Amino acid sequence: MPTITLDAISKQYSQQATAVQNVDLHIPSGDFMCLLGPSGCGKTTMLRMIAGLEHLSHGRLYIGDQLVDSPQSGCFVAPEKRGLGLVFQSYALWPHMTVEQNIEFGLRLRKLSERERRARTGEVMEKLGIAGYAKRYPSQLSGGQQQRVALARMMVLKPKVLLLDEPLSNLDASLRLEMRAELKRLHQAFDTTILFVTHDQWEAMTLATNIAVMSKGQLQQVGSPDDIYARPANRFVAEFIGNPPINQVAADTALGGRLARQPNTHMLGIRPEDIHLAPDATAHTLPAKVRGIMPTGGSWVLDMEIEGQCLQLSTQIRPQVQAGEHTYCQIQPQHVHLFDAAGSRLEHTAYHNAVPTSFMHAV
Amino acid sequence: MIGWIFTALPTKRGLQLSLKDPATLLGIGLLITFSYLILAPVISILMDAVNVNFGDSNRIGTPQGNFTLYYLERVFTSPISQRLFWQPLFNTLSVALGAMCIAMVIGGVMAWLLSRTNLWGRGWFATALIVPFMLPTWTFALAWTTLFKNRSMGGQPGWLESMGYSSPDWLAYGPVPMVLILALHYIPLVILLFGNALRRLDSQLEDSARILGASRSTVAFRIILPLMRPALMSAMVLILADALGEFAVPYILGLPVQYDTLSTSLFRAISSRQTGVASVLAGAIMVLGCITLTIDLYLMREARRFVTLGGKGAMERRRPLGVWRLPATLLAASLFVVGVVLPLMTLFLSTVMRIPGRFNLSNFTLDYWIGTNLDTIALSNGILLTPEFWSATWNSLRIVGTASICAGLLGLLVGYVVTRTPWRWLASTLRQLTFMPYLVPGIAFAAATLSLFAVQRGPVPALYGTSLILMLALIADQMPFASRAGISAMTQLGKEPEEAAQISGASWLKRMVSIIVPIQKGALVVGIVLPFISGIKGVSLFIILAVPATEVLTTYSLRLVDYNYTQAANAVVLMIALLAWGGTVLTQKLTKTGLAQGLES
Repeated sequence: MPTITLDAISKQYSQQATAVQNVDLHIPSGDFMCLLGPSGCGKTTMLRMIAGLEHLSHGRLYIGDQLVDSPQSGCFVAPEKRGLGLVFQSYALWPHMTVEQNIEFGLRLRKLSERERRARTGEVMEKLGIAGYAKRYPSQLSGGQQQRVALARMMVLKPKVLLLDEPLSNLDASLRLEMRAELKRLHQAFDTTILFVTHDQWEAMTLATNIAVMSKGQLQQVGSPDDIYARPANRFVAEFIGNPPINQVAADTALGGRLARQPNTHMLGIRPEDIHLAPDATAHTLPAKVRGIMPTGGSWVLDMEIEGQCLQLSTQIRPQVQAGEHTYCQIQPQHVHLFDAAGSRLEHTAYHNAVPTSFMHAV
Repeated sequence: MIGWIFTALPTKRGLQLSLKDPATLLGIGLLITFSYLILAPVISILMDAVNVNFGDSNRIGTPQGNFTLYYLERVFTSPISQRLFWQPLFNTLSVALGAMCIAMVIGGVMAWLLSRTNLWGRGWFATALIVPFMLPTWTFALAWTTLFKNRSMGGQPGWLESMGYSSPDWLAYGPVPMVLILALHYIPLVILLFGNALRRLDSQLEDSARILGASRSTVAFRIILPLMRPALMSAMVLILADALGEFAVPYILGLPVQYDTLSTSLFRAISSRQTGVASVLAGAIMVLGCITLTIDLYLMREARRFVTLGGKGAMERRRPLGVWRLPATLLAASLFVVGVVLPLMTLFLSTVMRIPGRFNLSNFTLDYWIGTNLDTIALSNGILLTPEFWSATWNSLRIVGTASICAGLLGLLVGYVVTRTPWRWLASTLRQLTFMPYLVPGIAFAAATLSLFAVQRGPVPALYGTSLILMLALIADQMPFASRAGISAMTQLGKEPEEAAQISGASWLKRMVSIIVPIQKGALVVGIVLPFISGIKGVSLFIILAVPATEVLTTYSLRLVDYNYTQAANAVVLMIALLAWGGTVLTQKLTKTGLAQGLES
């Protein structure tokens, strides 16, 4: 299982249009890495460059120890020679071939014997639960089955690296859940390195061992799901990950001033679940007004007004307040994220020292 | 602009990669091919218009090949310019405009009746009224002469004549029958284009206007008509452009009374070997064609702005006609009778009657189809027993068939290159180059092809008289349809299926053979059959480029017209109509789409 190494790679379509800018990324062998970002952030372009369907404009790309694309040295290894598997968002099944023929195609190209082809095709269809559909055409299958065929078509070649381009986005909610579990299982069963592109943070958080967050062609942060959620590298990552989204309060507002004494240009971020309802006023609470309550089934999202700021609060405990009522909130200072003027996260220690004593004793 | 240059000029690495890219290499090959097939003939004929041609050096006083304005002056300003150009231009425009007006009015009403009302037999009429468009125009012209021909022409008299009424010249020949016949031919086009637009119109738009208090007429004039304007204008322009190049109808109905149009004038110039004059005339027809179709392109772009409206609300809703239901249905029925039944019956009856217009049993015979030892000099057997007929049929099928298959394949390849090459200029140049013959009426394009291939040029021998020149001209002429079909098919397919094969390890050739072509089988069939039908019934290319050895059905039937073998000529035309109609029905069966979609794509 090879590692994939992206060394300062960029992709420019024209002078104006830069899709990927100076990305360094190391995908360890056997990893389930997820490229996460809003649509148009360049993640699919990255995937296609790794697959060899797009050429780099700058930088170097290695698969294992082999340099596969480098404009400087003029090296370029064609996609069919990279030994990768790629599953497209649209599945791209060949409509004129049956399921079996679709899966067999790559094996035929490798001139495998009939017996071996049958064995491998049968095995992979069995593993993916589509053995009963061998003679059907793609148009006769449901979306989930087509998805499995697309996976099977790549898996049968036993690729060392499997690239998946938003493979779940065309499925309905329940199927998506099922396939997600399936992918996780497949990752272990087939023992491959998987690179997965999605714009769905939930998908990324549940599936990946590591997440690379991208925005506007640039890599924002790489880390484990927990790490990215708990310590977002910058405001973009903090905003993009989390539902309901992180609350943001400018440092120069009344609330901001109470939470942390910081230069006016800084921003504070508070996750909705880090704001807690408190029945009574204490030294550590702030007065708040409930503007609305939205049950989401199992948890509740409350629209709060605290010190003139609108914040969202989420809780697993049924709130004992009504819309329009006044109540109190508590925010643990160590859970407040702090971002500087450029949007970068300031580390906890720096922030800690800055917490104003006034807050500790006020109200 | 500067940005464009940057993208247009690939970097060194871009160039290296692109030259390894099969789509780009293929594109360069296609670019060279089409430059030769399409651009070179047009340039050649434009050069002929301003250079001294073979045999004219004495008259003009400059050696052959030198620059001259002689031909331009002759066509546009000399004393005979009136007869060469201005009168034919006036005739062409008046026939085209007349036909357009009638077709728009009748076709517009029919389109509305068919798509928006509870007319009896709507579904049936929707197909039946399209039939005239599948028939060659001169089917009607021949039927007309069969009925109305008078003593101004030799040969067998028309039915009216032999029944004792002599039809006046203005009714038998010239602009009146030409306008009526072309109008009949174009009514289906209006029904298709306008009817589609009407059907696509979201009825919620009308409903919301009605709810806001607008009266029916306000809705019609303030909502529907403005939205329909692009479709109407586009139909008008397409009719104009097509009528400009119409050759067979003026040839049959105009020549007997010296009513020349630009295309017959061009034909005369070519047959009397006035190459320079012919080149100028061809150039003039091209310019007119370009002007009208540029207008159309502009209008279609306008129309696209409206298309997005559609969606779920575009529910079909029909208006009850009330007491008008019966008269409206009768109107549609009579159009069908005049446009389809009458001409085809006339033609058919004429082929089984010895003396035109005499309806007693002894006058009927199948001799003209299957008889032997007839007393006509050049055609002693019935048409089905005449070897020339079969060799013309074989030529038609062979030449048109080969050209259509080539055009279909080339169209798919153009589609492939346009959607795949990273060189944007290559894609757009190919797209425009293959569209160019659409701007050039067939007869002018034939003249252009002749001008390029009539003599030996470099390693290419003179091709005049071979079937190859016909095939080349046909391929070029059919490229607009073929490449449009190819581009839209490839755009719909997207890149992924091919990339999936590439990732699986397939080489380019393997991808083309096992993935692209099989998937595009349907589109390929359409891209071959549609040009085939239009090629089978086409006249203008063949009339210039065919010689007796390469005679096809259309030229054969026109020759029979010239010999005044009315029955035989009509029989051949009926066979062509049968081929064209059969081919259209076959396409519809194969692709499960209406003709309407085919016309619009």
